Amino acid sequence: MSETSCGFRGDREDALIAYLYDDGHAIERASFEAHLDACAQCREELAELRGVRVQLARWSAPSPEPAVVLAGEGGRQAWWQTMPAWAQVAAALLVLGVAAGLANLNVRYDGSGLTVRTGWMTPSSPTRTETAPERAARVDALAPVSVTPASAVTRSDLAALEQRLRAELRAVQPSSVDAHATLVRAGAPIAFDADTVRRIRAIVEQQVDASERRQQNELALRVGQVMRDVSAQRQADLVKIDRSFGYLQTNTSVEAMRQREALQRLNYIVNVSQKVPQ
Amino acid sequence: MTWTDEELVARSIGGDADSFNELVLRWERPIYALAYRQIGREEDARDVCQETFLRAYRALSGFRGQAKFSSWLYRIALNLCRDWVRRERRAPVVQAPEDVDLLDLAATREPSEPIEDLVARHDLSRAVERAMAILPEEQRTAIILKEYHGLTFQEIADLVGCPLSTVKTRLYQGLTVLRRELARSEAASAPRT
Repeated sequence: MSETSCGFRGDREDALIAYLYDDGHAIERASFEAHLDACAQCREELAELRGVRVQLARWSAPSPEPAVVLAGEGGRQAWWQTMPAWAQVAAALLVLGVAAGLANLNVRYDGSGLTVRTGWMTPSSPTRTETAPERAARVDALAPVSVTPASAVTRSDLAALEQRLRAELRAVQPSSVDAHATLVRAGAPIAFDADTVRRIRAIVEQQVDASERRQQNELALRVGQVMRDVSAQRQADLVKIDRSFGYLQTNTSVEAMRQREALQRLNYIVNVSQKVPQ
Repeated sequence: MTWTDEELVARSIGGDADSFNELVLRWERPIYALAYRQIGREEDARDVCQETFLRAYRALSGFRGQAKFSSWLYRIALNLCRDWVRRERRAPVVQAPEDVDLLDLAATREPSEPIEDLVARHDLSRAVERAMAILPEEQRTAIILKEYHGLTFQEIADLVGCPLSTVKTRLYQGLTVLRRELARSEAASAPRT
């Protein structure tokens, strides 16, 4: 073991931290506690670090914004079940009335974001600002929602999703609809059996995965292109610098040669003038 | 009945979506807090938090229970935070605006708390946030995991993949830097006489 300037036999910093946090081996902490009785330096440092911990405790993180999406049987459900925003909307849209048969689905992605409607719904006012509780309640009722897209989604993604959702809805058996569906009206929630919800969620997940993979590939390609461009530009810059440097060297050499010639002429003139008979 | 994390994981793997929902509700706030303190931006921290649970959901079938579920989640979140920092190529941002909206601030006030104390508390919180942003990533991570998430030295060592003594060294060095920075900040904000 080593001895520190304060006389503690051991790793002083380790022991101090272990004592500060009351973590680590009990024997080590007891040994340091005994040392504290005789060492003002360590007592002072320990007090200062405790003060830092008191200040750290005052830094609180903001609360995460709760996101209610699907109205499941348990009531409030977390955002994770609905994946990215556009997939959340698509999945939420499926909680809709099918009492009269297949819903008229319409999926649009435009400047105002992703909008998913059914034939049952009336468009919401585009200028109306929703509060968070209102939005949560409306999602529960599956009204159409326009959201700012969290990631790029192609039109073919949406068309494919629409087709698959229609197929899934067609597969919903009338008996299960009778058992679980309620009359659709604005603000009224409706429940599907868990199996249907699971299947629909699986479809949405697959589309999300495919879209993400495509975006990652595009990003990798673009990064590669940028790197190649940067490298080519750098090479061109180096060539220019090299040429400029060579030009400078040449000019300097020429100048030096001229000066040497001027000196030689001067020397010749001086020599000749000295030889001129008086 | 309160299920343990491991029981909820097993039920989730068996197809019970409500069980994973319960895990999310249980761990959403700590994971978000971890991400926020690492990154410094609310919106990016929210994205990291969501991505953490998405990845956990997708990889759940591969979770064998070698470590605690919470440690597994923390590791995913820390990796995502590290990726964010490297991608952004900068230290965490101190997001709190210079001009504080007193109405927003007053909304967080305790009923009996004088407004002067509220402003002081806010200033101290920002000073801590600024000081933490100066720390190297490994020291900041160690302090966050110890101070705000109550992990033991060994748990931190297992999570970040370093020796136990290294964790203690990082904590000591980080706290020493914070002590200096907070003292400097306090001196700078003290009224001049």
